[in-house]
Amino acid sequence: MRLIAYLLPRILAALITLFGVSVLVFLSLRLLPGGYADILLGPFVTPEARALIAQRYGLDQPLVVQYMRWVWAMLGGDFGVSMVTQRPVIAELLRRAPVTLQLALIALTLALVVGYPLGVLSGVRAASRRRKRDFGRVVGAMGASVPDFVLGSVLIFVFSVWSLWFRVGGYVPFGTDPVGNLRTMLLPGLTLSVFGVALILRTTRDTVLRVMTEPHITAAVARGATPGAIIRCHILRNAAIPVVTVVATYFGFLLGGAVIVEVLFSVPGVGLYIFNGLLNRDYAIVQGGVLLAAVVFITINMLADVLYALIDPRVGAAR
Amino acid sequence: MSGVRQIARRRLLGDGLTLFGALALGCLLFLGLFGPWLPLGDPLRIAAGPRLGAPSAQFLFGTDELGRDFLPRVVQGIRSTFLLSAIAVAITAVIGTLLGLAAGYLGRHTDQMIARGADILFAFPALVAGLLVAAVMGPGQASAITVISIATLPLFIRVVRSVTLGVAGRGFVTAAEVAGASTLRVMLVHLLPNVMGAVMVQLTYALSIGMIIESALSFLGLGVQPPDASLGSLLRQGSAYLTIAPWMVLTSGAVLSLAIMSVNLVGDAVRDALEPLKGRPLT
Repeated sequence: MRLIAYLLPRILAALITLFGVSVLVFLSLRLLPGGYADILLGPFVTPEARALIAQRYGLDQPLVVQYMRWVWAMLGGDFGVSMVTQRPVIAELLRRAPVTLQLALIALTLALVVGYPLGVLSGVRAASRRRKRDFGRVVGAMGASVPDFVLGSVLIFVFSVWSLWFRVGGYVPFGTDPVGNLRTMLLPGLTLSVFGVALILRTTRDTVLRVMTEPHITAAVARGATPGAIIRCHILRNAAIPVVTVVATYFGFLLGGAVIVEVLFSVPGVGLYIFNGLLNRDYAIVQGGVLLAAVVFITINMLADVLYALIDPRVGAAR
Repeated sequence: MSGVRQIARRRLLGDGLTLFGALALGCLLFLGLFGPWLPLGDPLRIAAGPRLGAPSAQFLFGTDELGRDFLPRVVQGIRSTFLLSAIAVAITAVIGTLLGLAAGYLGRHTDQMIARGADILFAFPALVAGLLVAAVMGPGQASAITVISIATLPLFIRVVRSVTLGVAGRGFVTAAEVAGASTLRVMLVHLLPNVMGAVMVQLTYALSIGMIIESALSFLGLGVQPPDASLGSLLRQGSAYLTIAPWMVLTSGAVLSLAIMSVNLVGDAVRDALEPLKGRPLT
């Protein structure tokens, strides 16, 4: 009951956000200079052709009707047709989604495995020694400051001079050749993970510092519990809570960062598809891709709220 | 009061990392602001040296594929990266602070609308929004500024709103209302000073996000257009010659990372000074 009372407003808010996002995406492409017919037909367009296109795509209907039709088509899985290849956008998006997902999972795993323990360690050390200068701040500052495309470019330079097992470009699906797949995917995944390492490290460090001011830690110290036991029993679980939220936010970064990293390493994922769609003025792809990214992001944030309520019994209890 | 100032100064300058960040930021800002009047050479002069010449005593950062001296180009890049993101973040901070104050103080429907609006903007991953904006507005500085605003506006709104919510019920606000102060006066005279600390913290954070977004868009060719240079577009230019002229990517990449890091370090120091976090030893 408590959980439902906590989650219901959030689900409602997520639905409203989804609605707003869809209106923005819909309107933005209706605002394109020249309108859809001009883009489709090019500069030498007769009024008859324009009218035909307007009729075929329902552009002569009121905006509200157009929006309803558009949403209805999207819900039925019709994201429109690519102007360049004349193939449905949804098929291509679904074909490429696993590639981006794999990239995101590699980055997320690396970020958690490296960032979380380092953050706990750095927080405990910073509190114990009352010293500001520690490796956690240095790693955090560096990771949050080196943009992914700078790191990626440097990695490409290094590994194109000395190949060292890794390969730049030449993606193969994991199913056909797992080793070959990892040879091409680990570098982009690593590039994408560095910001996450810094983000999770800094969040964990701050939370650990905050948790350590709480009375139950003082009580544990007074009881004579060993530092290891205090970290295991009193700090780790508490420090995990904000990390859930940050991981959800990090996913938004991953979706955007995937564009850059996929372009840089020519990984055939969703990001590269949207980017090429933009370069080709293939707006159905941009529209569908942006909407998909926003929907995924909203859904993940909502799931994070659910997870939050499950691991932290205090959530929602106070109201 | 001087005691507080002293503590703040000691916290800001007390450790090497922060000092390093502040110094680097100072140098970069100096280069960015006064670069055009420094005797560094013309960033646009073609065939000033050999094509793709390696760094030398004459050309410290080497030359690009048109024989342009790369050092003044990097300095120009610092200027446009800092300038664009600073303009975008400054505009966004003002709008976001006002919206956040309105949401937190007026409450009810206004709050609902502003909070939902912030959620909607927040739902677009920055670079994905960048692609949409570039599709609508075309590539260029205006789209870069728009994308930075879309990405950072929710940060300001959320922080200012939550701080305002905490302050709005306090006695001095009620006193001002009873004394007949107008809504606008309460917001700007009584509430604004109380949220400024939080805004300052967000400001540095937003500036570093803005610089990352600007350079990322320029790297994709959607931000600053040639012949103008931003650190991102220089990286884009250099990445075409990565294996034969790596100095272009390495110099502009290092300067860009240093710029973002200096902003982050100073931002961390500002945050630590305004919202100190202290743990206790485990022994």
